[in-house]
Amino acid sequence: MGARARRGDAGGRQVSSVTVAGRRVELARIGSGEPLLYLHGLADVHSALPPDPPTQLLHRLASSTAVVAPALPGYAGSDGLGPRADVEDHAFHLVDLLDEIGIGPVDVVGASFGGWLAAEFALRHPTRVRRLVLAAPLGLHVRDAPGVLFFGAAAPRGVGGFGEVRGVLFADPDGPVALDALPDELPRERALRWFGGLGGAAALGWRAPQLCDPKLAGRLDRIGMPTLVVWGADDRVAPVGQATAWQRGLPDARLEVIDGAGHALSLEEPDRLAELARDFLR
Amino acid sequence: MNFFFFHLMPWPYLPPPREFLREHEAAWVTLSNAIYDPERGVALYDRYLDELVAAETLGLDGIVVNEHHQNAYGIMPSPNLIAAALSQRTERVRICVLGNALPLWNPPIRVAEEYAMLDALTGGRLIAGLVVGGGPEYYSYNVNPTEARGRFREAVDLVVRAWTEPGPFSFDGDWYHLPYVNPWPRPLQQPHPPVWIPGLGSPGTIDFCAERGFGYIGVAYYAPPETFGRQAARYWESVERAGRPVEPEKLGWLTTVYVGDTDEEARTEAAPHLAYFAGNLAAGFVGAGKVWMPPGYLEPEALVQFLADLRATADRHRDGRGALFETYPMVGSVETVRERLLEFVLRHRIGTVLGLLSFGSLPAGLARRSLERYAQEVVPWVRERAAATLAAGR
Repeated sequence: MGARARRGDAGGRQVSSVTVAGRRVELARIGSGEPLLYLHGLADVHSALPPDPPTQLLHRLASSTAVVAPALPGYAGSDGLGPRADVEDHAFHLVDLLDEIGIGPVDVVGASFGGWLAAEFALRHPTRVRRLVLAAPLGLHVRDAPGVLFFGAAAPRGVGGFGEVRGVLFADPDGPVALDALPDELPRERALRWFGGLGGAAALGWRAPQLCDPKLAGRLDRIGMPTLVVWGADDRVAPVGQATAWQRGLPDARLEVIDGAGHALSLEEPDRLAELARDFLR
Repeated sequence: MNFFFFHLMPWPYLPPPREFLREHEAAWVTLSNAIYDPERGVALYDRYLDELVAAETLGLDGIVVNEHHQNAYGIMPSPNLIAAALSQRTERVRICVLGNALPLWNPPIRVAEEYAMLDALTGGRLIAGLVVGGGPEYYSYNVNPTEARGRFREAVDLVVRAWTEPGPFSFDGDWYHLPYVNPWPRPLQQPHPPVWIPGLGSPGTIDFCAERGFGYIGVAYYAPPETFGRQAARYWESVERAGRPVEPEKLGWLTTVYVGDTDEEARTEAAPHLAYFAGNLAAGFVGAGKVWMPPGYLEPEALVQFLADLRATADRHRDGRGALFETYPMVGSVETVRERLLEFVLRHRIGTVLGLLSFGSLPAGLARRSLERYAQEVVPWVRERAAATLAAGR
């Protein structure tokens, strides 16, 4: 058993850190009922953990499930997986994490970067995943529908804030949700978390091609469990043309496209996403 | 003491910063090469090579070139080609490439090979700079920035072993696996050309240089000189901790220099070209706008601090011309530059000064006059007074 350190309840959430194969994993748990594993994305990296309140999405999901939301390797207080870690290592990491916290076969909701890892996990460890919800997952190399160069857009500014990266992540880059997630004057603690998270994404995703696993397309047919794919019609990071590739490649998948939505579905479309997920997982 | 002439080979034909920055986010990575004029480029290479060769004629100790990709900041993606050209046009000066960006070279033994060739072509005058490569290069070459430092450290070991260990040997590292390492030629200088490593201030780099006996060159030219003071202090502490001899020429300082007839004339002449350098060419590397600083290249704490420093610099520069010269104080008359330079090198026991004398959009005539004044009137004066003091410190 790894060491557990529990912090106080904030917003009905239990935050703890566990040790998985010698590495620290910070995670939030909220709700009760059947467990649900939530894997966050590029945008909602710091929104599940204190000092930020739990996201709307987690609240909604928690109304009917016991959500387990780990910070992915390199994000927030979770250690990275070390140099040269690839998707295999990330998949094993999730197996080990679930073992550590005592969760067997589980429904998995993954958004963006987390959706990519959820797919790679389900692909390799199908007995651990009951059903899968993928919200704008990264990872599929689709030449006909390339997204914007995310890491380029996320290059920081000396003065002038986060407008560019908000512009690629959010349908409403200067709306309250986007400005709450990535205000131009990002407080230091949240800035550390944001840049640390970019490092976590880069450790795996800064390859050729970026944020993709070139082998995934040829392996989609091995992800056999029932899968719901949700996509924003105006996603710039992973354009909606990629959604079709997922739906066609997965043997048992349904696709829902949300009009007018961007990449950060978990933040900008929490109610719709939660409703779709709950209906699917009922 | 050693006085080197450091050249970036900048593209001087962008509009003034106010106009340039309205239309462009940076001079790195995404500034379209459509605006590069190949005919003008030919003339620039000619002029810049002439300037570097002139440094020898004027009595300086060495010349320095460097590697930058896909930008207007410097048109030397392959500094080794320039060093090779210079090897044929010079006889005495040391030629320093500062430096080959090891993580961008696959495999890094190519660096060992090219430096060995340059060592031969220069007759043993090469100084081999080994660098991590600036943040923007990782976007341009799509090399993983989270791997930069691990690759760099291992590649340094590989290159030094390639120079010094009889081949063939196998290299089985974490990043590089080469079954046969056996470069022909081997370098002329023994055990190998001097290695210099530039740094922006990270203690890890400073300690690494001190412990390995490599030259440490502080290259944060965009920050006020006192930031180098902290690096120098750290360097000498590290040298002492490592039990290594005190060799002042292994501590180098890069500084922008412009020498005019009077202080006022120097400032007036240099100001628009310094502003071009700081405002246009540095945009994307430092500056108030987008910076191509990739994740994992710096630890988050260091990155947040770096961005805070950029904001502070931008605020200072908004105050007007005065602030520019706080950052670049080696701009003035012969007397002013002499005194400031001597004071600074003695205070920090700096044995090597790298002068950036042909910067930004500085026209050829002004650059040449400044270089002549520097080489003929500033350097001998400083050298004479510094030599005695530094020698006494050994």
